[in-house]
Amino acid sequence: MKIQPKTLLTSAAGFLVAVAAWQLVATGPMAGGPLPTVTSVAVNLAAVVVTEAFWTSLATTVGIALLGLLTSAVAGIALGILVGSFEPFRYATVAVLEFLKPIPPIVILPLVVLVLGPTGQMSWFLVFLGCLLPIIMQTVDGVHDADPVARDTARSYGLKEPEILLRVVLPSAMPFIGTAIRVAAPGALIITVVAGLLGGGPGLGQSIYQAQAGGDYPTLYALVIVLGVLGMFFQGATSAVERRMLHWHESFREAAHR
Amino acid sequence: MKTIFSTSRTSSAATAAQPGKNAMTEEIAPADTTSAPPRLDVSHLAKTYGMGDKARTVIEDLTFTVDAGEVVCIVGPSGVGKTTLLKCLAGLHPSSSGRAAIDGRTISGPPPEMALVFQDYNRSLMPWLTVRKNLMLPLRHLHLSAAELKERCDDALAAVGLSHAEHQYPWQLSGGMQQRVAIARALAYRPEILIMDEPFASVDAQTRFDLEDLCLKIRRDFNMTILVVTHDIDEAVYLADRVVVLGSKPARVLRIVDVDLPAPRDQITTRSLPEFARQRTDVLSLIKRPA
Repeated sequence: MKIQPKTLLTSAAGFLVAVAAWQLVATGPMAGGPLPTVTSVAVNLAAVVVTEAFWTSLATTVGIALLGLLTSAVAGIALGILVGSFEPFRYATVAVLEFLKPIPPIVILPLVVLVLGPTGQMSWFLVFLGCLLPIIMQTVDGVHDADPVARDTARSYGLKEPEILLRVVLPSAMPFIGTAIRVAAPGALIITVVAGLLGGGPGLGQSIYQAQAGGDYPTLYALVIVLGVLGMFFQGATSAVERRMLHWHESFREAAHR
Repeated sequence: MKTIFSTSRTSSAATAAQPGKNAMTEEIAPADTTSAPPRLDVSHLAKTYGMGDKARTVIEDLTFTVDAGEVVCIVGPSGVGKTTLLKCLAGLHPSSSGRAAIDGRTISGPPPEMALVFQDYNRSLMPWLTVRKNLMLPLRHLHLSAAELKERCDDALAAVGLSHAEHQYPWQLSGGMQQRVAIARALAYRPEILIMDEPFASVDAQTRFDLEDLCLKIRRDFNMTILVVTHDIDEAVYLADRVVVLGSKPARVLRIVDVDLPAPRDQITTRSLPEFARQRTDVLSLIKRPA
C-alpha cells in the first residue's frame, strides 16, 4: 500500500493541470460568465469554512449519508441472507427486487418529500432505499458463493442452521458485501446532496441550492469543491474499513500480511 | 496426552454432548443383547439420487461394521460413491434404504460423537479465522467453560505439532499443516469416531507419510475408532486393521480384508514386509479384476 513518490508527483501534476485549465477557461473564453475563477472560489472557500453554518451543514450531510449507509447495510445484509438462504423468500421477492433495481431513488423523491416533508428523515430514507437494493443483491450472491464444503463441515460438527448462517455463510459473503458497501458509499453522499438540492433536505445540498438561488456562484463552486473532497474521504474511509475487515481474503492478504 | 483426552470424555464433554445425542439419533432396542453392538454398523445401506427415470443409484447395498478402537479403510475405484457413503454415515445425507448405526442407534443427523475430516482442507477450514479460532468453531455450541475450551485447543494443537501456529491463518500454512489443523479441529471436538474422506490426497508424498503416522498415533493415544476413505491401496493396507474393498457401480462390498501386520507400524519396516506386499496385491487384484 506504499505510494511511490513518482506516482504522487504525477498525480499532483495532473491535478495542477486541471486547475490551470479551469482558471484559463474562467479568465479567457468564459470571462464574466457564470463560471467563477479559481482564485475567487478559493477566497470564498476560505470565507465559508470559517462559518459555523458551514460545519453544521457539513456534519448534517455526513451524518445523514453515514446513517443511511449503515441502516441500509444492516437491513440489506439481513434481508440478503434470508433471500439467499431460503427458497420461498427468494421466489417471493425476486419480482419486486428485479423491478426496483433499475429505478433510481431520486425518482421517488417527490413522493417522499410529500410524505416526510423537506426533512433529514426524508434524505435518510432516500439514502436508505438507494443503498439497500445493491447491498441485498450482493449479499444474495455472496450467500450463494459460500462453499458447500464449509457448510458441510459446520453441519457435521452439529452446528444448527442459525449458527451456520452467522458464523460460516455471513463471513463467506463478506467480500461481496464489502464491495457493495464500498460502491454504495459515494452514492449515499450523492443522494444526501441531491435530496437537499431538490427536496430541501438539510445539509450541503441545501446550502448549494441557496447559493445558486442567490446567484452566489463562487460560494456555490466552493461548496462543490468541498463535496468533491468529502467524496474522496468517503471512498478512502470505506476502502480502509473493507481492507481491515477482509484482511483474510485473497485480494487483501498481501497488503495486510506483508 | 492419553489421559487428558480420556478423562474429559467423562466430564463436561459427555454431559455437553448428551442432549444432542438424544435429539439426533433414535433409540433402537438391540435385537441381540448377548454381545455388544459394533461401534459403527452399516447394514444394507443404499443411496439413490433422483426419482423415476432419472434415478441414479450410487450405493447399492453396503454392509460392514467397525469395532471400537479399530482403523478401517474403505478403498475402491474413484467415483464409486465413497464420499456419498461418508456423508450418509456423518448424517449429512439421509440414506435411501438400509441403515447406519452407532452403538445400535440409527444415524439420522450429525452424531455428536463423530467428527469428519474432509479432503479439501482449504475449503473446510475458514480463512477468516485463525488456527485456534478454527478449532473453537465447532466447540461454541457445546457451551464449555473457558478453561476447558483452552485445554482442548491446546491439547489438539500439541497432538498435531502445531502449537506454534495457533495465531496464524490457515492460508499462511503449507498444505500438510492445513490438513493437520483440520485434524486438530476434529480432535478438539473429542469425538469417539473419526471419519476421514481422502484426508491425505492433496498433500505431497513425504507429508502423506507423516500424516498417516499421525493418524495411527491418534488411534493409539486417544483410543479412537477411525474410518478412512482412500483410493491409495498402500495407504489403506498400512493404516488399517481391516480394509473394506468396494466395487462399482453402484457401490457394493467386494470383500473385507483383514490386515494382520504387526504393531507398531513403521513407514520403512512395515512397508518392506513380504506380508505387506501380499496384502496390497490381494486388495489391488480385487479392485483391478473386472467385476
